[in-house]
Amino acid sequence: MTTTTRTIPVNRDVQAHRKQQAAEQRDAFTRRGTFVVNLVSSPGAGKTSLLEATARYWGNSRRMAVLVGDLATERDAERLRPYVPVEQLTTGGACHLELSLIQQGLQRLPNDDYEFLFIENIGNLVCPASHDLAEHLRVALLSTTEGDDKPGKYPKMFRTSQAIVVSKTDLLPHVPFSVDAAVADARQIQPDLAAFSVCASTGEGIADWCRYLDHERERLFGSHMAEQKVDRT
Amino acid sequence: MHEVSLVRSLLNQVERLRQAHGGTTVTRIEVEIGPLSGVEPVLVREAFDLLVADSDWPAAELVIDEVSLSARCKQCDATFNIESFRFECPQCGSRAVNVTRGDQFRLLNVTLETPQPMESPA
Repeated sequence: MTTTTRTIPVNRDVQAHRKQQAAEQRDAFTRRGTFVVNLVSSPGAGKTSLLEATARYWGNSRRMAVLVGDLATERDAERLRPYVPVEQLTTGGACHLELSLIQQGLQRLPNDDYEFLFIENIGNLVCPASHDLAEHLRVALLSTTEGDDKPGKYPKMFRTSQAIVVSKTDLLPHVPFSVDAAVADARQIQPDLAAFSVCASTGEGIADWCRYLDHERERLFGSHMAEQKVDRT
Repeated sequence: MHEVSLVRSLLNQVERLRQAHGGTTVTRIEVEIGPLSGVEPVLVREAFDLLVADSDWPAAELVIDEVSLSARCKQCDATFNIESFRFECPQCGSRAVNVTRGDQFRLLNVTLETPQPMESPA
């Protein structure tokens, strides 16, 4: 026996299998009428505050739940617990969430007929951009204290998002931040981005944001799904 | 820094290929990395060096093809390279463009050593 070398052509995305799994999970969400939003931002941009404000605005009119990713603590989940069913996904230091963690979190949620499921990703605008969590909508949050030139620095994140939300607009008088400049910078990368400005503490802009979520869910699922409880047999 | 996680997945895929093709060892792994792939070539190489040392084929070589970002215009069908992440058609100015290459971390080729029976003398 001797050996010979052989080159096997593969030419496949390293994440092809993961993307396939995400597509299957997304189909499962769609079938049960759950619209999934993956919320991404840098640390401290206000993801949890936006979700608190969203839950307060909707009250009991929508069935929503949250899966919140964190490196080490349960603090964000504690903040949301008074409003909505929430499960903490602790990554133990990893910089992004992966689909398997989402699927584990789903098992721990009390129900599976939510109209909206929000995934609060790890505060990081780099790694989460490469991980499909079976969401229908990816929303990048940018706070007014971060600088309006940030979108161009994170091209993959803004290219793969469907909306940009500028948060902490109450600070606009005090910071050198132009909402228009930030949105224009993001749209250089992704011209189709929807754009919103919110202040979670005063509630400004939250109604528009919630209307957009309803609209996107309806556009994807059809309006009949909004009121109807999904039959589980 | 999620490169370790992705390179671990890459090595698992290579190991499955080696088994499927009856390879005794892996000598060369060729990958493609583009500007919008979400991975840094330098970090991929560091992660590879770290992880391959613990694999069954520690001498395998990693070859990284760094490709540019290519796109096709949805309006006028022109194909072009995207520089500095400016997603705009140089032909017609449209910003409705589809990325055609450079947004993935791809496994291109795997070179294996496989056993071969000795040729009998004529």
